[in-house]
Amino acid sequence: MVEEILEFLILGLVLGGIYALFAVGLTLIFGVLDIVNVAHGEFFAIGGYALYVAMVLLGLPPAVGLVLATTVVFALGTVVYPLLIAPLQKRLGRRAPGPLFLVLTLGLSALIQNSLLAAAGGEYLKVPPAVKGGLDLSFTYVSNQRILIVVVASLSLAALFLFLRFHRQGMAIRAVAQNPAAAQSVGIPLSRIFTLTIGLACALAGLAGGLIAPLFSVYPAVGFTLTIKAFAITILGGMGNLLGALVASLIIATVEALSVLVIPSEWQNAIAFGTMILVLLVRPNGLFGKKQP
Amino acid sequence: MSGLRMRTLAIAVLAAAGLAAPLVWSHPFVLHIAIQALIWALFAASWDLLSGYTGQVSFGHAGFFSIGAYTAAILSKVAGLSSWLGMTAALLLCALVGLCVGFPALRLRGHYLALVTLGFGEIVQLIATNWEALTGGPFGMHDFGTFSGLPSDALAQRQDAYLIVAAIALAGLAIMLWLTRRTNAGPAFRAIREDQILAGSLGIDTTYYKLLAFTLSAGFAGLAGALYAYYIQLVSPSVGSAAQSALVIGMAVFGGIGTIWGPFLGAILLFSITEGLRFIGVVYNLIAVGAVMVVFVIFVPRGLAGIRLYRSGRQQRADRQAVDAPS
Amino acid sequence: MLAVEGVSAGYGRLEILHKVSLDVGPGEIVGIIGPNGAGKSTLLKTIFGYLPPFEGSIRFAGDALAGLSPDRVMRQGIGYVAQAGGVFADMSVHENLVLGGYSLGSRRAAAAAIERVYAQFPLFRSRAHQRAGSLSGGEQRALAVARTLVVEPRLIILDEPSAALAPRFIDEIYATLAALNRSGIALLIVEQNVRRILDAAHRVVVLDMGRNAFAGASAELRQSDRIRRLYLGEDAG
Repeated sequence: MVEEILEFLILGLVLGGIYALFAVGLTLIFGVLDIVNVAHGEFFAIGGYALYVAMVLLGLPPAVGLVLATTVVFALGTVVYPLLIAPLQKRLGRRAPGPLFLVLTLGLSALIQNSLLAAAGGEYLKVPPAVKGGLDLSFTYVSNQRILIVVVASLSLAALFLFLRFHRQGMAIRAVAQNPAAAQSVGIPLSRIFTLTIGLACALAGLAGGLIAPLFSVYPAVGFTLTIKAFAITILGGMGNLLGALVASLIIATVEALSVLVIPSEWQNAIAFGTMILVLLVRPNGLFGKKQP
Repeated sequence: MSGLRMRTLAIAVLAAAGLAAPLVWSHPFVLHIAIQALIWALFAASWDLLSGYTGQVSFGHAGFFSIGAYTAAILSKVAGLSSWLGMTAALLLCALVGLCVGFPALRLRGHYLALVTLGFGEIVQLIATNWEALTGGPFGMHDFGTFSGLPSDALAQRQDAYLIVAAIALAGLAIMLWLTRRTNAGPAFRAIREDQILAGSLGIDTTYYKLLAFTLSAGFAGLAGALYAYYIQLVSPSVGSAAQSALVIGMAVFGGIGTIWGPFLGAILLFSITEGLRFIGVVYNLIAVGAVMVVFVIFVPRGLAGIRLYRSGRQQRADRQAVDAPS
Repeated sequence: MLAVEGVSAGYGRLEILHKVSLDVGPGEIVGIIGPNGAGKSTLLKTIFGYLPPFEGSIRFAGDALAGLSPDRVMRQGIGYVAQAGGVFADMSVHENLVLGGYSLGSRRAAAAAIERVYAQFPLFRSRAHQRAGSLSGGEQRALAVARTLVVEPRLIILDEPSAALAPRFIDEIYATLAALNRSGIALLIVEQNVRRILDAAHRVVVLDMGRNAFAGASAELRQSDRIRRLYLGEDAG
């Protein structure tokens, strides 16, 4: 019994790493731009597809493939603000963002997902793991791919937090999230920070997509369930709160993994949604909510 | 005849002609498209009543559609109810569910509301997929019959189905239009959309009107779902998927959010176009819908309905009168 | 140095300022006063770039400012101290100053400038790692001022520096501002506290209903009973 629990805990850690990469990026966008990126899952999917192209079609080594995938998604992410969001912001003027931005990113999500479907077909594409083999623990076998996921996710998130804490541009991102007017008054150009933020967040999602591709397979809607769970996670952790998103990711992932012991696996997804609805009923601003919607 | 009367008459004539056309033409495929288009139109108008008109954005509206469809299917299959009873039950049950969903939604705004409704839609789909005993699981239900009292001839059946769907869809639209243009609910909804706090301080019972919007919107969405069930005669979990919720929002954006008739018309047009384009390839029409949403939200915010702007001045004056009038 | 001419501005279709003009010479302290809703804050926001003007020109040392965003305006050598919430509350005092030097490029380039500011404001050295939001109102205001000094502006724009401050803190802020002015920095100050600004400023501009109502040396205004009663609502004497 203990061994089973430990096994699921390890799975929770692996999934938690992926959820965290995804949810932290989503929260970052919300904290800085006040926009919920409904299309975040699609950048995750593109990461998987890019890795597939790199490893399977181009035959590149896994490390190169992963870096390439992340870079490609970063580049795509930097296009979103100037091309789509800035024009809408200009039109709306000083009025609060409101649901129109939600509809915009929803449309983007539909656009990307179906374009992937059209371009690549709907089959579940297989990507070989970046590292083969695994660790034989007495109670379970942990594949090296899973260890890789935890290591890369941890390092990337640590790097992100250090960047935000100490680097000039990272501090600028935090400044814009806290007080855009004051940030401008010290010379921080808002549109460039917005662009950078979305690029970074999407890069994290793309990285997550590439890391989990060998386990999840690659298909157009692969990011969708994750997106909804990530909404639940960010609400649980408090929208705009990066550390909250990280912690909530681990909690949800662990609860999901352990829940298999108690409820049928098809209902697993309901945990995240149900938790989200329950939390919002009790605290309409999330658990540690910093920002008003 | 005044300009307004002439315009109204022209619209009425055009609408009547447009509605009669599929019947006159009587091509089975055209009828097939037209019936579905009208079902989507009712669905889109119901979404707009809640989200566009009252500003309570719902990202999981297909959940109500799904509940309506399954209710009709289950009642007809298990209890042998006629389609009329089935549709009524679907309408009432969904209205009740809408009321229930509306309560927690009272405390939520903007993003959180949209996300919670998204979660609602997903939970409905989860139940539909996994509660096999009730819903037939992933494969859905298919042997619950169609509209009661239809002739056996295939074409005549389709023609009669068209008449039923058109009548109900139009009745739904008429009720929603009457509600928003001729009763106090209209200005109240608009006030809530513009500024909830201000509306409350002006004496508008925001709780009552928000719940009213949820109830009616869910009811009509469920009715559309029941129509869908009886016409297509197959109900599966995908009917309540997030993609369907996104689709109806796309249609509303195309037609013009916040007008009720805009999304109704937009759904008919968009559905007909994309179905017609199906010959090119199934996926491209969904890409088109996504593109429409993105482009229209940024550049054509009023949608098709915004092509004529004559309404806004009258609307503002009417709102001001309604607000200034002694309560 | 700063020349504002015929500027109209507002929010959306609502015009708040109608052809307002003023100027600030090098090393001058100019005050802006007027009744509530006169558009004083709007004028500052327009000069600094938070709002685009509908018409008119804004020039600083000959360069046109109209239409530039605030992050470009500040690079011309102008600092801005907001009415409230001007500091990054969730960051430390030190981080606030580091951000003040953002436009200098790398963090190393800003380090010397930040040292200079600590020398001017020794209070902050001991509080360097304290969360800015936990400082008192007066200290936060001083921090906002200190932050603008990192990049050595020639003009600092302040929106109601005495707002919500206890008199002791108002004294401190105005003493700081006087010292800054002595070192050559010009100041443009919107003030609700008329007495203070009449004492501190060289010249005062009066705005009413978004238009220029009066302008003159503060000594003049102090002495004119009629003007004081009309525009400032004070009893004569």
